[in-house]
Amino acid sequence: MVIVKRKTLSFSERLYLPEIVRGLSITFRKMFAKRVTRQYPEERLETTEVTRGQPRLVVNEDDSIACVSCGLCEAACPAYAITIDGQETDRFIEREPERFDIDMLRCILCGFCEEACPKDAIYMSDELELADYSRAALIYDIEKLKRPKSALEQRIGYVNKINQRWQTPSSTS
Amino acid sequence: MNEILVWVIKTGFIFGGLVGTAAAMSLAERKFSAWMQYRIGPNRVGPWGLLQPIADGVKFMFKEELIPDGANKWVFQLAPLLAAMPAMMTIAVIPFAGRVELFGQDFGNLSITDLDIGALYVLAIGGLAIYGVILGGWASNSKYSLLGGLRASAQMISYELSLILTILAVIAMTGDLDLRAIVEAQNTGGVWNVLEWNIWYQPLGFMLFVVATFAETNRHPFDFAECEPELVGGFHTEYSAMRFALFFIGEYCAMTVMACLTVTLFLGGPSVPFWAAAPWFVGFAAFLVKAGFFLFLFIWVRWTLPRFRFDQLMHLGWKVFLPLSLLNLLATGVAILFRGGA
Amino acid sequence: MANALFYILSVGAILAAAGVIASRNPVMSVLSLLGSFFCIAVIYLLAGFQFLAAIQILVYAGAIMVLFLFVVMLLNLGDPEGEAAREPMFHHGRRAFLAMGTSVAILVAGLVAVLNTSFPAIDPAVAETGNDPVGQLAIAMFGRYSLPFEAASVLLLATTVGIMVLAKRQRTPRTQGERA
Repeated sequence: MVIVKRKTLSFSERLYLPEIVRGLSITFRKMFAKRVTRQYPEERLETTEVTRGQPRLVVNEDDSIACVSCGLCEAACPAYAITIDGQETDRFIEREPERFDIDMLRCILCGFCEEACPKDAIYMSDELELADYSRAALIYDIEKLKRPKSALEQRIGYVNKINQRWQTPSSTS
Repeated sequence: MNEILVWVIKTGFIFGGLVGTAAAMSLAERKFSAWMQYRIGPNRVGPWGLLQPIADGVKFMFKEELIPDGANKWVFQLAPLLAAMPAMMTIAVIPFAGRVELFGQDFGNLSITDLDIGALYVLAIGGLAIYGVILGGWASNSKYSLLGGLRASAQMISYELSLILTILAVIAMTGDLDLRAIVEAQNTGGVWNVLEWNIWYQPLGFMLFVVATFAETNRHPFDFAECEPELVGGFHTEYSAMRFALFFIGEYCAMTVMACLTVTLFLGGPSVPFWAAAPWFVGFAAFLVKAGFFLFLFIWVRWTLPRFRFDQLMHLGWKVFLPLSLLNLLATGVAILFRGGA
Repeated sequence: MANALFYILSVGAILAAAGVIASRNPVMSVLSLLGSFFCIAVIYLLAGFQFLAAIQILVYAGAIMVLFLFVVMLLNLGDPEGEAAREPMFHHGRRAFLAMGTSVAILVAGLVAVLNTSFPAIDPAVAETGNDPVGQLAIAMFGRYSLPFEAASVLLLATTVGIMVLAKRQRTPRTQGERA
């Protein structure tokens, strides 16, 4: 149990007016303080390497994506946002997704897909804006998810740096 | 010049000024509140957001108006008008400046009319503002509205007593109910006309009056009518669209009138410090500056002080303000008696 | 112009007064009475009694009717659309007859009294210049008629105290048990 002792007020405090004047002077001074508002569409927050936005598929230099439609991200996704149908391909990786949809209305930006991916094909981008006129338009297919590697450089570097923690000498040798 | 034409011009000017001030206040409130909280405030409509009131007005006009089921439709629709009208009516007797001469024409004194009983008129009409609040609360058929309405009217009745008693002390000093005469008694010529302002003779009355105007216009820290955490929106919870806006126009008009009244009664109205014979436009500008300060004070206090509790409000009104204003009146009477008449 | 206004306002005042007893909803009755007071206040203004008009609005409309409204709202006088209200008016038998008869008798007596009184004509000089009507009223009220004035205020005070005593006495036995 906590017993809160009331502070006995001095006479000027009980008169209330000097305290009001004190409060007014504070608010008046704050009127000229530095503003903290950001004018959003024009001024945006700088994204850092830890920014975890919406998941995107990395496009390599040869315009292909690294995904082999293994389904690990689909299984890891806690919100069941990812749907993958695989197909055969003549490329060396033999399998590629025929369909790779992420329902952005379900995605919770947790980054599990990024962690699950064995082929480094999916990464969290720094894109955060999500608005459209219909629900259907917010189910992103492969074409909407593709991003050049250069756009995701920051995040890829960060993930590699984090993963180095697990690459102990004993496990790699 | 035609007397009626002059009268129409003056009415249009003063009334337009009042409604314009009310609109500007809605923007000023948001701007100042933003600055006091390190924010920027509305800045999208027009340069620095100056056209925001117009955008708001258009929005209010095109919104759908809802009348709740079980509401008393007739009273429900009447109440916002009753809330907005008294403030707009009382501006008529405020003496803004002396004799106006423009383009070689004599327009008479700058006020819609100079009643012999101006101060009484202000009190009588101002007291009617309660009806808009209490009827709006009752007609909405909602418990929040009813509670808000009852609280607001109880508060207004309590503080009107202090308001009337402090005004009475000023009237006793001047010996006239005409606001014009009260203003002129505070500026009888001479360099030191500042010392003739009633604020020096009625410091306690001035303080009581200013605080009572806050309670009378339902402003922070006495805004129990709309007390959001307890009563949603108070008496205007069920209102929407233009009728909702009317309540706010009424509130801002009442604030403007109260600021003008404070200036008239205690700060010499259009009297310019150290320049007793100032031309009318300088006097008018002085009036606007003084009234503008009190309008700013309304906003300033709102964003500084937290809300009282309702019992604290009643305690303050009946056990502190009423005895103090009676004491003030008594002291004024004794002083007049010993100095040999007003 | 003034005459026409007087007749319009008189009719308005009487209609509003009729509305007080005719409306089923007590709040509407209060509003009707308010309208009646306003018409009367403007009639005072037409007659040149500015002070009386202002006092009429300040005291009756601004203070007393607000209290009425308070009481009506707080007491919640039941469903105005209830069974008793739907009964046609003036169908309450002998009691209604008695009440109506008494009212008419009082009205007639008042009319006779007013018509038989000779009112002093307003001194045109005073009416023209105004001659500080507020000051005259004050001097009359606190000078010649100060005793009736004070007696009236003592009566009001006594009434207030009496109401307090009555209200308190009813409540005391109930709260005593809880507090003890």
